[in-house]
Amino acid sequence: MQKIIRHEFKFQHSPALVWEYLTDPELLAEWLMPNDFKPLVGHHFQFKTKPKINFGFDGTVYCEVLEIIPFQKLVYSWKGGMSKEKPGLDSIVTWILEPIDGGTLLKLEHAGFDGFRNYFPYLVMNKGWIKIGKRFIKNIKPV
Amino acid sequence: MSTQQLDVFQVVADPSRRTILQMLSEDSMSINTIAENFEMSRPAVSKHIKILNQAGFISIEDIGRERYCTLKQDGFRQLQDWMRYFDQFWHTKLNKLARLLDERPSKDE
Repeated sequence: MQKIIRHEFKFQHSPALVWEYLTDPELLAEWLMPNDFKPLVGHHFQFKTKPKINFGFDGTVYCEVLEIIPFQKLVYSWKGGMSKEKPGLDSIVTWILEPIDGGTLLKLEHAGFDGFRNYFPYLVMNKGWIKIGKRFIKNIKPV
Repeated sequence: MSTQQLDVFQVVADPSRRTILQMLSEDSMSINTIAENFEMSRPAVSKHIKILNQAGFISIEDIGRERYCTLKQDGFRQLQDWMRYFDQFWHTKLNKLARLLDERPSKDE
């Protein structure tokens, strides 16, 4: 039972334009984070943001392009933590673009919060933690 | 291995530590009782216990000669915070993308 974060957004713009904002490093930096992305499978790149030391995050997201279907699908790994060698968070980001009437439906999946996989039952089963469990369910949807 | 550098995800990525947490989800247990359930050495089990304790997943209390471990919420909360953080993160970023796209002159379409 893997946990996934999902979001869907509709845009009144063509998939080609939305794709540009996902794959052009300068446009991508305008809304996401500074990066050295290249639309090439196997390309290693990084996103840079503010460190969140309390969360055990040094501010760099280490990524590798895993899959590209132009204007339709983009997949990259998303690893972060306190060091590149031992990323605590080892996850996968998937973007899917679907043409809809006069625009684009953009779907995001952020998967691989492995730490959660086996934990969820304990959280829910344990007395007093039921509330936390319920909040969990609201935030994340099973596959 | 330095226990200080482990983040919550690394802490729970280890199968032995997951098993310990699972055992403790049933009831509090002494370190000796926990160790009896593992093939590994008692010091190895103690190391995992120490990591879980430092990361806030368990607390340790001395009762008589035994050291008892009990689940604690802090570590789990931190996992939950991560999940929430990313959920909110993407929501915010995608809204920003939507604003950027909306600001574009229509001739681009």
